[in-house]
Amino acid sequence: MDLTPRPESQAPKRRRWMPIIILSLVGVGGVVIVTQFLSSAIDYYCNVDEIGVRSGCDTANRLRVQGTVEQGSLAKLNNTTNFTLVFNGKSLDVKYSGDPGGVFQECVSVVAHGRLVNGKLESNRIEVKHSNEYEAKNKDRLEKSGSAACSQVQG
Amino acid sequence: MLSQSAPKFSSTGTQATRIVGVLTIVVMTWVVISGLVFTPADVVQGESVRIMYVHVPSAWIAYLAFIVTAIASAFYIFAKRHSLGFDRVAGASAEVGVMFMVITLVTGSLWGRLTWGEFWQWDPRLTTTAFLLVTYIGYLAVRRLDGSIEQRARRSAVIALLAVLEIPLVHFSVVFWRSLHQRATILDPNGDVKMDGLMLFTLFSGVVGFTLVFVWLILHRQRTMLLSDLANQSGLDAAILARQNESVSN
Repeated sequence: MDLTPRPESQAPKRRRWMPIIILSLVGVGGVVIVTQFLSSAIDYYCNVDEIGVRSGCDTANRLRVQGTVEQGSLAKLNNTTNFTLVFNGKSLDVKYSGDPGGVFQECVSVVAHGRLVNGKLESNRIEVKHSNEYEAKNKDRLEKSGSAACSQVQG
Repeated sequence: MLSQSAPKFSSTGTQATRIVGVLTIVVMTWVVISGLVFTPADVVQGESVRIMYVHVPSAWIAYLAFIVTAIASAFYIFAKRHSLGFDRVAGASAEVGVMFMVITLVTGSLWGRLTWGEFWQWDPRLTTTAFLLVTYIGYLAVRRLDGSIEQRARRSAVIALLAVLEIPLVHFSVVFWRSLHQRATILDPNGDVKMDGLMLFTLFSGVVGFTLVFVWLILHRQRTMLLSDLANQSGLDAAILARQNESVSN
């Protein structure tokens, strides 16, 4: 029996391109993800009590400030939302142009993006953090606290 | 090596898969009814909390699937007899894991829009999860590259053992970095689970239900992979036979 290899022309090779294309896209996707993550980290991430204390958490930089919306501080006027962020005994007034989305309310943790101007954070982006606590809605407690999140804080 | 004999089953179902299938339907029916009707709305998140009963189990099952892929790959590489059965389990588990990872990201994105106010953030947890998904899509692409079944098994096993190292990074990203994503509730290091009783039970039921879905899918998928491998092998056998016939006629 003749088992010598066939000539090249008689045994055409079919390379499967789809996995190679997908692998290339995966590589590009990975680079995009890492680049976006790193570029989004340009804003200094500061807690309220780190403003003016921690390196970078000052007027020279655009900041992401994390804190809790103080109960009774929320005021919406025209298209502006004003509130006070508190964290670890320190507070910071925030002025946000617009109406924050998500479950924004008093007593929730938020991250406000913006710049410090005259001791006040002028923000153009608000992200609401929610805690890792899950509690059933209770109408009586909501009426007492005035805000759902504050009822959770008060326990 | 693959067995040269024809497969002994005409479908991928067995008595065991049917039992798992029935159990899956029962548990998932409970999860749907309890998640949508019986469980209360959350005090802060309102009705949007119901997404949790899909989002959290999906994420856990995706982790589980990728860990199973790594374990099966390790068995393939390090066992004396490099059984392709382990490779097929690894591949099937990765496929199911990618599916659950996509569900996790889609449901997480919807949940994020309702709670954070944004569909997507380049947040450590979200970014590492997206990277994990991309890695396993790459793993599946590598499995489809040219080469023999043994080459496929070796290449993909090495990638699986490296890719699984991303899982701790994803899980602990909310601890390592300041993240918008909340920290773990159930796997709280202090064991202090702050969740309403029925919510917790429904979430636990969801994890059980999704695990059953995972098992059911793996059992079927690795059998369809076996059939596919056997079909490829029979094609090779036919080609060799044809070549033998050619030489005889010459």
